[in-house]
Order: sequence, then C-alpha cells, then structure tokens
Amino acid sequence: MSPRTSLDRRRFLGDSATLLGSTALATLLDQDGVLADAPIRPAINPSSPHASRSAHFRPRARQVVMIFCSGGFSPLDSFDYKPELIRRHGEPLPGKKLITFQGEQGRLTRPLYPFRPRGESGKMVSTLVDHLGELADEMCFVHSVTTKTNTHGPAENVMSTGFTLDGFPSIGAWVSYALGSEADDLPAFVAIPDPRGKPQSSVNNWGPGFLPAAFQGTDFNAARPIRNLARPTSITPAADTATRRFLDALNRKHLDRFPGDSELAARIASYQLAARMQLSVPEITDLSTESRSTIRLYGADSRNPLKAGFARNCLLARRLVERGVRFIQLFNGSYQTGGEGTSNWDGHKKLKVQYDVHGPILDQPAAGLLADLKQRGLLEETLVVFCSEFGRMPTFQKGASGRDHNPDGFTVWMAGAGVKAPFSYGATDPFGHRAVEPPASVHDVHATILHLAGLEHRRLSIYHNGIQRRLTDVHGDVITDVLA
Amino acid sequence: MTGFRPIAAAILGLAVTTGHTAPPDLPPAVKRQINFDRDVRPIFVKHCFSCHGPKRQESDYRLDRARVAVSGGDLQQKPIRPGNGAASPLLRYVAGLDPDTRMPPKGPRLDRKQLAVLRAWIDQGARFPRSAGDSMTRTSHWSFQPLDRPTPPKIRGGGNPIDAFVGRRLAKAKLDFSPRADRRTLARRLHLAMLGLPPSPETVDAFIADLHPAAWERLVDGVLAHPHYGERWTRHWLDVVRFAESHGFETNRERTNAWYYRDWCVEALNADMPYDRFVVSQLAGDAIGESAGTGFLVAGPYDLVKSPDVSLTLAQRQDELADMVNTTGTAVLGLTLGCARCHNHKFDPIPQTDYYALTAVFAGVRHADRPLDRPTPQAQLAVLRKQLAGHRRQLAELITKLRLPVNAKHNIEKFAPTRARFVRFTIRNTNSSEPCLDELEIYTAASPGRPARNVALATNGTKPTSSGNFGPHPFHKLAHINDGKHGNSHSWISNQSGRGWVQLEFPETVVIDRIEWGRDRQQKFSDRLPTRYWIEVAEKAGEWHEVAGIADRAPFGSSNTAPADRLARSDLSREAALARGLQGQIGELTTRLNGLAKGPTAYVGRFDPPPATHRLYRGDPQAPREAIAPGGLTILAPPPMAMNEPEQARRLKLARWLVRPDNPLTPRVIVNRLWHYHFGTGLVSTPGDLGANGSLPSHPELLDWMAGRMAGTGWSLKSLHRLILTSRTWCQSSRPRADATALDAGTRLLWRFPPRRLAAEAIRDSMLSASGAIDRRMGGPGFKVFEIVMENVRHYSPKKTYTVNEWRRMVYMTKIRQEQDEVFGAFDCPDGNQVIARRSRSTTPLQALGLLNGNFVLQQSRMLARRCVTDTPGGSTGDRVARAIRLAFGRPPTPSEIDAGTRLVDRHGLAALARALLNSNEFLWLP
Repeated sequence: MSPRTSLDRRRFLGDSATLLGSTALATLLDQDGVLADAPIRPAINPSSPHASRSAHFRPRARQVVMIFCSGGFSPLDSFDYKPELIRRHGEPLPGKKLITFQGEQGRLTRPLYPFRPRGESGKMVSTLVDHLGELADEMCFVHSVTTKTNTHGPAENVMSTGFTLDGFPSIGAWVSYALGSEADDLPAFVAIPDPRGKPQSSVNNWGPGFLPAAFQGTDFNAARPIRNLARPTSITPAADTATRRFLDALNRKHLDRFPGDSELAARIASYQLAARMQLSVPEITDLSTESRSTIRLYGADSRNPLKAGFARNCLLARRLVERGVRFIQLFNGSYQTGGEGTSNWDGHKKLKVQYDVHGPILDQPAAGLLADLKQRGLLEETLVVFCSEFGRMPTFQKGASGRDHNPDGFTVWMAGAGVKAPFSYGATDPFGHRAVEPPASVHDVHATILHLAGLEHRRLSIYHNGIQRRLTDVHGDVITDVLA
Repeated sequence: MTGFRPIAAAILGLAVTTGHTAPPDLPPAVKRQINFDRDVRPIFVKHCFSCHGPKRQESDYRLDRARVAVSGGDLQQKPIRPGNGAASPLLRYVAGLDPDTRMPPKGPRLDRKQLAVLRAWIDQGARFPRSAGDSMTRTSHWSFQPLDRPTPPKIRGGGNPIDAFVGRRLAKAKLDFSPRADRRTLARRLHLAMLGLPPSPETVDAFIADLHPAAWERLVDGVLAHPHYGERWTRHWLDVVRFAESHGFETNRERTNAWYYRDWCVEALNADMPYDRFVVSQLAGDAIGESAGTGFLVAGPYDLVKSPDVSLTLAQRQDELADMVNTTGTAVLGLTLGCARCHNHKFDPIPQTDYYALTAVFAGVRHADRPLDRPTPQAQLAVLRKQLAGHRRQLAELITKLRLPVNAKHNIEKFAPTRARFVRFTIRNTNSSEPCLDELEIYTAASPGRPARNVALATNGTKPTSSGNFGPHPFHKLAHINDGKHGNSHSWISNQSGRGWVQLEFPETVVIDRIEWGRDRQQKFSDRLPTRYWIEVAEKAGEWHEVAGIADRAPFGSSNTAPADRLARSDLSREAALARGLQGQIGELTTRLNGLAKGPTAYVGRFDPPPATHRLYRGDPQAPREAIAPGGLTILAPPPMAMNEPEQARRLKLARWLVRPDNPLTPRVIVNRLWHYHFGTGLVSTPGDLGANGSLPSHPELLDWMAGRMAGTGWSLKSLHRLILTSRTWCQSSRPRADATALDAGTRLLWRFPPRRLAAEAIRDSMLSASGAIDRRMGGPGFKVFEIVMENVRHYSPKKTYTVNEWRRMVYMTKIRQEQDEVFGAFDCPDGNQVIARRSRSTTPLQALGLLNGNFVLQQSRMLARRCVTDTPGGSTGDRVARAIRLAFGRPPTPSEIDAGTRLVDRHGLAALARALLNSNEFLWLP
C-alpha cells in the first residue's frame, strides 16, 4: 500500500460493522451506550480485515477444520455403541408412543453395522467407518449433544450458527472476525462443499449474517474454483495487467482528493489481495504435487468418483491448513442431487442401502485427513471437529427400514489441538435416544471450540438491532472435561 | 406516565387488604426511613449479587435493576410487592419461610436485623435509586419521553433550521461547516442519493449552466418528483422489512406474487403517501383500501416443512409471530421487542406480557396469498363476456357434427372394417404428466355367427411394444396394456411427459372395426389422459394408415351429446381443429375474466379467526401460562382490546396507536431513518434500536424538531427530504479537512458531507446507466438471475450470461433468500432473512474479483465502449476516452487521463478502459 494512505491516524474501535469504512465517534461524543457491557471486539483494519489478530487468551488451536456430515449422521450405527439396543432389538421403545419428525416409530433396531474395539483404548466403533475407527485413540467423543430442532435446515443452522433461523453469522465467520487469518493471500474462512453439491441450508452454513461480508466463508472445492477468480478468457493477460494499472492510477488520483480515507484505501488494497488470490488459489487447488502415497492415503485414487472427489476435498483441506487458513468447513453430503438420503446421511426408509454407499465416500478420505494432519505435526495446533446437524432414532420408522431424526442425543467428536484423546464425554440413555449424563448443547460445543481457539464465547460479540449478538446466544458453557 | 397511577392504586389496595397477615416469625419492620444505598444495597451486595446482580442473573433475575427486581425474572411472580414486605415472596425466601425456595442457597443467611431492614424498605415502597433504572411501566429513557419542541437557534452564516442545530453543535466543538460543494458534485450526489442512479452528463451541464437563483431547489424538486425516487427509497424500506421473494428455510420455494407489495411501496413513496398512512396500511391495509400493504406482515421467511411432531409445529408458529412482532418493533418503533419473548426486556420497559399482547394482535395472520380487493374494470369485463358468449355459440354449433371428446373412463373408436396385423396408439399431448392407458381393446368386425372378440388380449398371443415405460413400478407395466384388467393399478404409463406410443402386434392378420380404451375404467383417476392422439393400423410393418384419433372429436373439456360409438370420419378435421381453437380461446377468456373479476392474488397474508394467546413461560410453546389479550406496549398507553377482539380490529387498533400523535417513537424513528440514509449514519447511530441498548442521539434537539415537524405537517416524507436536501449541511463539500478530521474523523458532527461507497443496488444500476443498457420499466414481477432446479428443496444457480431481460434496476431483481447475486451480493446485500436497519459496508477481495471478472461487468464494459463509439461519430480515440469518463464520472477528463486512457485504448480497446472505469473508486463513490 502507498505510504500516502496513512491509516494510522484513525483509531478503529468498537463495532466493526460501522467501522469498515466509517468510524463511530465513541470517543468524542461519548454517547454510544453500546459499549456498556465491554464485550471484546476485534480491532479491524478495513484495509486488511483478514490480518491476524490476537486471541482473548492463549489459544490451544490456531486453526479449525470442521467436518460436517449433512443429513443427520447416525451415531448408533457408527460411534455410539449401545449393547442394550442390540439386546432389545425388535422390542418397542419403552414409554408412550413417540411421534417424531416423519411420524410414528416402529421397533428398536440394533446397529446395522457390527462394532469392534479399536486401538489401545478399545473404543467400540462400527465397520461403517472402519478407517476412522482405527484412529479412535486420537478422538475425544462427546456422546451427549442435543440440538434445538428436528428439521434439517434449521438444525444445520444451529450447528453452523447457533440459531435455527437463517441470517446469523456462522461459526467460521465468528472465528475469522475475531482472529483474522494467518494467510495473507487466501480467505480466512473456506467452506468446501461436497462434490455432489451444497448442504441443505446452503450458504447460510458459512454466511456472514450481520457480521461484515468480509468474514463470510468463501466456498470452493477441489473441483469447482472460486467464482470469478480466473481472468476471463476473452481478456489477454497484457490487457488485464494494463487495465489494472490504469485502474490503480485512477484510484490513487481519486484518493488524493480524500487523503486518509480508509474505505478508499481498503478498496485499493482489496484489488491487491484479489490479485494475490488469483495466484495462490489455483496453486492450492492443484493437487498434482502430492505424492502417490498421500493420494492413496486419502483414497483420492479411488475408482469411485464420489469417494475420489471427497478425498480431493480432504486433501485440499489439509493444504489450506498448511497455508494458515483459519477455519475450514468440510462438507460430506449434499442436497443438490436428490433428497432424502440419496446423497446424504438422511436414512429414513432404507438406511443400510444408503449408508453402504455413503460410508466408503466419507470414511477413508476423512481418516486420511486426520492421519495426514497428525503425521505432519499439524494436529498439534489444529482442531478437527466431526459433526452432523443431529443424530437418528434407535427405532426404525413404522413400516420402513430407516431411522427418523433425533435431536435429543447425538455424537460429535473432536481431535487434535487442546482436547483429551482418547476420551469419551457424556452418554445417551441405554438405547441411544436421549442424552442423559451430562447433556451438552450445540452452544456448549461452540463455546468449547471458541475456547480452544482462545476466545471467550460470552464476550465475542457484535451489536445488531439492539442486541449484543453471540455465537452462543445467551447460552453455552465450555465443556472443560474434554480440555487436555 | 399514564400507566403508573393505576398500578400505584393497586399496590395501595394490596397493602390495605393484606397488611395484617404477616407470619409471626418474620421480624417486624424497623421504624425508620430506609435509604436504599445506605441500608439495602450492602445486604444485596453481600448475599445476593453474586447470582442476581450486574454480572450474573440466575433465572434472569437481578436485584440491581428495579424493574426486574420487582416483577421477577423467569418466574414472573412479583417477588417484591412494593408497600407490603410481609407478602413479598423475596422476603419469605431470604427469611427461610418458603419450603421450596431458600435464598441464598449457599453461604450465610440473613440475620433478623437485615430482614427487618428489607421489610421496612419494601413496606416503604421498595424504592430504588435512579441508577437502578425504573419500573416496568415507567422509564426515564429519552426515546419514550414526549417530543421536545425546541426552537431552532440563530446562527451566523444562514441556512435552514437543520443547519441551525448542526451549526450550534459544530460551534460547541469549535468546528465549522465545510464550504458548499461544487455544482457538479452536488448534482451527482443528489441523483445517486435520491434516485440511486448517476445524472446524465447533460443533466449536470444544464444544472451548471442554470443561472436561476433557485436552480438547486428546482433540481431537488425534479428529483423528488422523479419515479425513480420511489424505487430507490423502497429498496431501503425493503431492507428494514426483510422482504424477499422466496420462503427461505430448507425448501426455499419461490414466492412468485410477493412483488405486489414492492410495487405498492414504490407507488406509495412516489405519491408521498403520508407516513402514518404508510404504516397503518402495512399492518391493516385490508381495512383502509390498501390491501397490498399487508405484504409487510408476511414478507419474512416461512418454513414450509411440516411434521406430525407437534412440538415442531408450535415452535414454527411462534417463530412466525416473533418475526412479525420483531419487524414491527424494529421498523416502526425502533425497539427490540423480540427480547421480551422469553423474559421481561432486560433494558427497555417491555414486560413479557407486552410481547404476548403483540403476538395476539397478529395471531390471525397467516403466511398465504390473498386476493387484492381492487375495483373491477366493469367495461373491460363486459367486452370479454360478449366475446366469450360468441365463442360458446359458435362452438356449440360446430360440435354437434363431431364425436364425443375424450374422457378418462371409456372411449370408443369405430371405423370401417380394416385388415390389421399391427395397431399403434400414438400420444402427443395429455391433460397432465406422462400418458396412461389402463387397457387397449381391439375388436374384430362381427359377422353373423361370429361375434366381435377382443384380439388385443395377451392371451390371444398379441405382443405389446412401446416408446418407453414408466417405472419400474408394480402398477404400471407394458404388459398391463392388454392383460384384460382395468384400473390404475393395471395400467401402462409412458416414460415421457405428454407423449409416447404403444403398439400391439397380433399373431396373424385380422379384420377389425372397433377399438376401446380408457385411462381408468374404475374412474378413480382422470389425470394423464391422452388429449391429442391418433390410432394407426398396418397389415405389413411400416405401412401405417390412420383409422381414428382426435381428428373428428370435439375438443377435450367440451360437452357434446353425440352417441359414443359414432363412426370416425376423416373429413371433419377442419371443423374439429376450429372447435379446438375455439375451446382454447374460451379457456383463455374465462381465465382472464375470472382473474379480472377476482382481481390479482398476492402474497400479502391471510387473516383467520385468531386463536387464544397465552404467555409462554421462557418462550416455550409447550409451556403456556395465562391468557393474554391483544394490545401494545403498556408504557405507551395502548388502546384497550378485548380478549376476543375481532382479527382486523386488532391490527387496525395497533396500527393507529403506533402513529398516534402522542407516540414519540414512531416519528423519531422515521426521521432518524431518513437521516441515516442521507448521511450514512443516523442521528441515532442504531436506527433499528432507540431503546436503552441503542446509542444516544448526536443531535437530540434536531431529532425532536424534525420528528415534531413530521408529525405536525401531515407526515410528508418528501417535505423532510426537501428540507434536508436544501440544507447547508447536506450541500457541504465532502473533502476531508485536517482540523476537523483530528477532532471528528467519523464526521458525526457533520462538518462535511460524509462520502462513502455506494450500496450494491446503486452500483449495479449505475453501471447499467453508464452503459446505456438500463431498462427503466417500473413495476410488475421481477427479473431472475438464477436458474432454478425444481426439486422439493429448490436449488438456485447463477445464470451464466445476462440478456436484456436482466437489465432492469436491481430493486426488481427477484430476491431469493440465502442466495445472492454472484457479483453484487458480495457488497453487503441483505438476503431478507433478518431485519436490516443498517447495512454493514465491507470491502473484500471477492468484491474486486466479481467486478473485475464477473460476466455482468464485462458485458456492461463492452456496451459502455460501444456507446462511446456511437456517441462520438467520427471522433478520435481521445474523444471516446473523454466520453467514457464523462459517462462514468459525470465530469470532463483531465489531460493525463486522456493520455493514459488513449494509450490503454490503443493497445487493448475501449472495453478495457470501460472495465477500469466501472471498477474505479470514483465510480462507486457517493461524493
């Protein structure tokens, strides 16, 4: 940036929503009551909103990878071992008749995949996720997660934003708002949609809500680049360079008439960052430099194109971690190519048939990512979170061979920076229906993730329409038992 | 305030009736005047504040705020009864007299002396110091106070009353106004701010040359009278009312007729509809002949996913109501009413019961279409009716010659005996979906002693083939076409929508004269019926000739009384075609007539009889408490309403109360909102919240003076715009001044006009305007920038290229929740999921990429380049560069711009220059 655009005269305090471009005059007028509860607000330089910012306290995790299984991944068929459910197979669920999302419940149904003890810990994990199971010693399970709704879209919103409604900032946006990025030529927050398409709540999963748009997740995957990233083929490189040079000259002349204006300077800077991204992003999505053994580790050489596609996304996630991207949301499952369980984990009617397809797509690539992060030493400062919007019922739906939505008790696991492993926290009841000992809300999970990232979830906030909004709403406690 | 007196009386009454019932083990009150800070606070600090104080509020209860302390937290049982210590649950808790609740739960208990002090304090009225806030029905917060009627101060340098207030504040900070901006800047600023479009270079030149002393005022009046004004300011309002044209949530289906509300707003603003009427129309337009206005109520998201799980259904309905209450609160009152959904508002005087009184007002409002009651165009209707009658007469005459129209149950095709080895039934249209036949029966010509028999049957050895089959599906198989069984579950369906053929081959040549077929002889289904078809026979493969079909049938849907087995004739095809044409026109005319007679139907909400409303404990839909009557905010003396108040009356009464002259919030909120859009920051910098958690006004007298003027001068928005636009404050230069920047870098004191980047819509519209591509058609359904995948859950993907259809103003871009325009969405464009009273304004590399490489901008660059060529016939490259800069920036180019621009154009073409201009800061800048 030119030395003429001296921004240091300005103090960027308080609410960044007003500040990206115009400075609220809290100091002079001393009237804005919005700072009364002294929330911690990041001081954001509008010219480089993604610059790295310090955490509230020493972080355990510098980066976060969130693997999101869209559609309602069944813990009872994967990570939540329930011997009682096996014993009572075929019996009705005790208690009064239960009406869940799609209607009446049939009989208790044992896991559709056998469980086996894994690793030194002997953690029981099913053959649906064999590769992941072999890494059980790296995992910290929270078996008692509950959410607020049994509908996909709103529940995805809860897992990604803390609220059922659309339009709230996503967890990745919050983290990049607070911390910026370690990478100066990449977005701070990248969402990697499944090769099959977007999840149910689509872009709301990585939206900025009412945080400045600078903090929205940028979505791209190994197969589909960032929109408008490439120079249009109709424009020659020479013309592109000359045009940008002319533009830069125009902008600098214009800035002379508004010396020190941060918004104008920020726009000039944004074109420079865009140019850097045009070089760095194609490079990072080019997986040809990966060794054959790495490709094999992820299963990116699979003849199953969906598995290979997801594996390449997992590889991309690792490369983004290496480059310092702050928050990566990696989706498995989509709604773009068919509803109810055909391309995601929503196994209502024929769960086994569908999970036989989805299991192999998820398992080896996700396990490859975890193992690769570990062997490269990246897991020391990276937190991996595996989640879904809710779990599934211990019963089959009446007259069907699949499980309905279950928001009352499901499993999230974490691995890497700052969490105990192997470790299991909380439990569902003997059938795996409801969280019983100590239940953990999604807010608690979010509070814990923020804590590991060095952020105090009660104080990381932004003022919006009269409320100090937080990721965790007015709830959430850090699950201290899982902290290493 | 008004609410206080009755409550005080109630308290006195309570004190009299229950004063003597003190339990024996509660110590008597001390007999001295209690001072809260001296006597009570220390007790609270020591024993209570760790859980119920400034830092923590267990059960949402706190003793440091008078209002919450008295009325209670979540439990809402009035723990303190001012005037009656003995009856106050709080005292019983701390005295250990309540078996369920003992306070504090841990640590030392209160001693008898402390209890005696607390009892006396409550007996004496439980008075808190001012710092602890006020009771739930009283407040000292500024925005609830009646409007101040200040006189504009006299200041030097002239100007209108706005300048007087702004100037006085500047002087206090030892600052002064900046000089007036030059005319070129003013014209550009005026057009961009008020119309969202730059002025044409010619408009600017004309204004600069206008020597009339009132040249500026005339330009302002022209802009305020311009229809683009309504479009620009409607866009602002649509942010506030979270308007979008899809339902949101996971299905996110389209709302194809929500645009009526947008058009209504544009028309209302252009006509300068008084703001009070504007508000009433949006809550109860159905009561005052502005029915499209109620689009406001249902402009928010709506969850189409329904479940038999009742907890989900109840929660969905509460979310819908919360959306209506919150939006009304933020848009009209500048209050965050939603905060009182689960508990009493923590900052503003809004008890939880007020929130539920407001939900009761909207309890009958449903997300749905409603016919707009517009006057029926009688003359037009009469013309159409006459046409229709004529067509019907003609048709009735024609069809007497024709065979029966096809029907779903049973059709007979009778023809002269013909030799056949093959019969083919070809379908080219249906009444819906893929065609279905439940059976095809083909009869031999009867002769004496040899009755007709169905040779189509599979048992006869006849083999079916087809163009393709639906399924696999157990009900629908090719073999069902000739299995001798009737009904939908034994039928054949084609695999193509509206078309297909099925063919039967007999084991030997036969002589046939009759074919019978149906879609469902059991008459359960009438869809999938072939309506355009023909039947051919062949003796040798490939030598087809037609024996029957629709060629001589009366059109589908017409009524005819011909015998069912009338002989098929090929010579009536002209009459049949005429009849079909007539039938089609009759259908169209009828639809148009019905549409006109009924009027348009729009997404403006349906009004049902409202069910009872209950307060919900902690906002939990499954924890209803006492019934609540519809109402408003207790603190502002709302109109009384009965528990069973009729639906429309609820909304109308609330709306009229919102704009009542003694409601100080509504006018303050709207003048602040206008100010916010003019200057980038409101006098109150939180235009969605004038409550205790919002910010204080930078110029309180100015705010009240304008609010008073608004309410007192017929609520004209244009009149206030005119005052602002003709103020010295608005007309200042926007250039920074070192002295002022040092004191007030954020320009809150308005020592200059605050320049800033344009919002998404103005950027896009400005590009269309500069390139000349802009399509200025107003109103009607919007244009779409997405391709839609029509699954149950809709998917939207951005269009690859844009055509003239997409060159209207962005206010008409069909707004899809969650999805954003691929270029302009990145400019902090709201998606209609949340009320946005103030957009954030961020700068990101994705914006730069979109403007540099997005197809839209490239197309517009090329069009701007072409326009510059057309505009400068025979001109040099320099002339074209100059024209481009004038079109983009509204000013003549500098010599160095001509030089650099010419160099760029010579090597890379005019479009390269245009692309740079459309990306430049100056182009995107409100100067």
